[in-house]
Amino acid sequence: MESRVVNKGQISELLDKLAKDYNLIAPIKEETMTLFRRVSGAQDVLLDYNNSDISPKGCFLPQNEKTFSYMYTGDTLEINKPEGVQKTVLFGARPCDIKAILTFDPVFEGVKFGDEYYSNKRKSTVIIGLSCSKVLSTCFCYAMGGGPCDGTGSDLLLTEIGDKYYVEVNTEKGKALVDAYSQIFSSQGAEQLAKDKEELAKKLSGEFVRKVDLTGVKEVLDGNFELPYWDGDNAKKCIGCGTCTYVCPTCHCFDIFDYPTGDFTGDRLRCWDSCMFPEYTLEAGGHNPRPTRKERIRNRFMHKIKYHLDRYNMVGCVGCGRCVNKCPVNIDITKIINDLKEVAQNV
Amino acid sequence: MSNPTALTPYPATITKIDVEASDTKTFTVVFDDPEIMENFGNQPGQVCMLSAFGEGESTISITSSPTRGKFLEFCVRRVGRLTSVLHQMEVGQKIGVRGPYGNGFPYETMKGKDLFFVGGGSALAPIRSLIDYALSEQYRSDYGKVEILYGARSMDDILFKSDLAERWPKIHNTGIYTTIDREEEGWKGHVGFVPSYVEEVAPSPENKIAIVAGPPIMIKFTLPVFAKLGFKDDQIITTLEMRMKCCLGKCGRCNIGSKFICVDGPVFSLAQLKQMPQEY
Amino acid sequence: MMDVIQQLREQAKKLLEEKKVDLVIGFGQGTELARTTPVFIDSPEGVSKLTWGPFCANNLAKYLTDYKNAPGNIAVVVKGCDSRSINRLLDDNQISRDKVVIIGVPCSGQLEWQKVSAEIKPGASLKEVVDNGDSVSVKTDAGDYKFDKKDYLLHRCLVCENPNPVVSDLTIGKEQPVKNYEDRFAEVQALEQMSTEEKNAYWDKQFSRCLRCYACRNVCSVCTCQTCVFDQMLPMWVSKRTNLSENTAFHLTRAFHVAGRCVDCGECDRVCPMDIPLRKLNQKIHKDLGDLFESPTPGTKPGLVSPLGEFSPGDPEEFM
Repeated sequence: MESRVVNKGQISELLDKLAKDYNLIAPIKEETMTLFRRVSGAQDVLLDYNNSDISPKGCFLPQNEKTFSYMYTGDTLEINKPEGVQKTVLFGARPCDIKAILTFDPVFEGVKFGDEYYSNKRKSTVIIGLSCSKVLSTCFCYAMGGGPCDGTGSDLLLTEIGDKYYVEVNTEKGKALVDAYSQIFSSQGAEQLAKDKEELAKKLSGEFVRKVDLTGVKEVLDGNFELPYWDGDNAKKCIGCGTCTYVCPTCHCFDIFDYPTGDFTGDRLRCWDSCMFPEYTLEAGGHNPRPTRKERIRNRFMHKIKYHLDRYNMVGCVGCGRCVNKCPVNIDITKIINDLKEVAQNV
Repeated sequence: MSNPTALTPYPATITKIDVEASDTKTFTVVFDDPEIMENFGNQPGQVCMLSAFGEGESTISITSSPTRGKFLEFCVRRVGRLTSVLHQMEVGQKIGVRGPYGNGFPYETMKGKDLFFVGGGSALAPIRSLIDYALSEQYRSDYGKVEILYGARSMDDILFKSDLAERWPKIHNTGIYTTIDREEEGWKGHVGFVPSYVEEVAPSPENKIAIVAGPPIMIKFTLPVFAKLGFKDDQIITTLEMRMKCCLGKCGRCNIGSKFICVDGPVFSLAQLKQMPQEY
Repeated sequence: MMDVIQQLREQAKKLLEEKKVDLVIGFGQGTELARTTPVFIDSPEGVSKLTWGPFCANNLAKYLTDYKNAPGNIAVVVKGCDSRSINRLLDDNQISRDKVVIIGVPCSGQLEWQKVSAEIKPGASLKEVVDNGDSVSVKTDAGDYKFDKKDYLLHRCLVCENPNPVVSDLTIGKEQPVKNYEDRFAEVQALEQMSTEEKNAYWDKQFSRCLRCYACRNVCSVCTCQTCVFDQMLPMWVSKRTNLSENTAFHLTRAFHVAGRCVDCGECDRVCPMDIPLRKLNQKIHKDLGDLFESPTPGTKPGLVSPLGEFSPGDPEEFM
């Protein structure tokens, strides 16, 4: 693996260049929120942030996406798909959120059915990750196989060390980018920074305060769908909003519907949907296989810690802590995991 | 091979509409592009996503067998938004169709066996594709006796009336048993619910596969009857329905445990279902 | 604060033991030091889960309608603001008075847990919380912290009309004085001063962030429709699409739908994951109802008639 060094003083230059040559998506501050948005240059980019309020999953699965437009003209029906996608750089994504994108890949790039909308964006996007400099009390990526300085899935991973960024070149795509801006990415001093980064990673990995351990949890769920645990407080306190699912970087569920723009024209859209909403599984005939919050909560957490694992051999949670932070009633996946471990002792 | 364009329907034209019952119509549909029609490759038990543009999409099973010709039949009961719009459509109008999706019936492994179909209400539609496949000239000799036990609420609700009364009985080595829930003037056939009728007909489990489809309550009471008759769990096949949006295993909602009905189903044996959570 | 917790547990235990209630809904320690979570206790042994302090933001009256058709009685722990919801729910015939035991706890303000959490050493565990009037001391095994209320209170608590419950069957803890850190309608007045264009720009920016997770609606104690118009499928009034027009339609409809019934508990504001200042919409309506009809905050008294829920022949009809 190759590595490079960028002086902090040159990061603005890099961002300005990227914004000119690419569709640049980066973290920004909007009032109290940290969000990923398209930026026109370095001046908008927020480099010092803990984690964004919403993950950058929208780069690949936008909350609203037109899949095609339709038009009836006399006897014919025309279906037009949107134009190709732009070359994009996703800058500043945290390791957990990049790992989340890896959990999307087998869903959208499946064996039988792919997804051109997703794949086109995935192919034309360079992911520049940014190691965390701080571990929050809600963070638990370490327990989900990640880490604050883990570059898995990124094309380039930047780690802030003193007045420099240490740059790990993880893919050919990343290599092409550092080569294209070779005046900014130098090789000098990379060796020392590599050691510094190791130190930082070690230091940060000791700072997690949430004790989470998935060992054995899937096994107990495998044989026990009906656990009295699911009737407990979580089902009672859940208010059935979609917050956890919309802030979750690995939630990929969507709805498909038409949005007429005229009598004979319209768009077909796919938009984020939430398994916490009752209509999500409500059939036209009135039957609902997951009629109450109990079934919906069970399904959501089983999806994270069992179903995704069963299907794709990956945990469906990356430990970003957003749902923990944002849930209005403090339903906490780490508590659920720990509770289930306890339940497992008595099953 | 992975199909990346799977979310885009193909334009198709309604060429025929049969009124089956007051709330049910069968639409015969042909793709506008003959090449797509030629290579569609649907198998018995598979489903399609039907688009009425402006309203959206809905999952509908293909009720025709591929052996019957280069067209698709969809038997649609009017229950929701999209199906109501479809019901207002006329011959010649355009819809969108994408598919075929789902695993379909294991018709290869059923070869050499007798088939006992049980259908309740509108669920004759999904199994009809396999009935016609097994009764086709091409494959008739591959299967033994084909029996169909069908129950509807009333005479009006009986679907595929001419299939049940004329077309299927004329074919060699078949048995048709039709029942309605309550006595009705003009009905000379059997009266009663499906589970008890199955018990009365008492099919022997020997070298036989039972294909059961119907509303959950019917399934619930019919399965024990088959067990009593000596059918093993892997001799009983059923097809499920759940709300779907993509039919590609991505949109998330049609899962039962780790399985997605749209790609891993909709057809499951009772043996498989017993391994899955009861959440459908 | 410890004695309040102690009394709370004793009273809850008594209610459950004497079978006066089948369920107690209260606050329990959450998964962060400065956070609580709703707990549902159905046995006397469970009462040790109950806690109280400046991190009890949730309005638990919200849950009463979940048990509307359930057999048995329910006790619920409420703050002053939450108790207004109870009056409102009673007036709307959403709950029956004889099935609910209201445990009122006077409150001196709730702190924003994220802000407090950011100051405290991660992983620290809570020893004691002490209310000093204008500040709160949080004692942990990793040291003691002091938080000035004017900097750490939830925005809605900077102005509090009812620190003491307006309706309750038993009250636990000392009565609290009314203490306001700012003018109730200062923010609304600032908005009113804006030009139409400025107002549009302001709200467009807020609404365009909306994810339509419906947390604001679902947390609302007076949103009690069986099927919300936004969930209706036939006809479908809004889609899952988020865009400015649908988001605006949603938020304005929501605000107007609770106009005259909104008890100003501020939960919608607190739960919004995108920090949309939703309470400002409701506050504008409160201010107007006050200015035009001298109408008090809904729920402050039982049997208050909402000016928007009543028609009398003498009403001015200037808009017709």
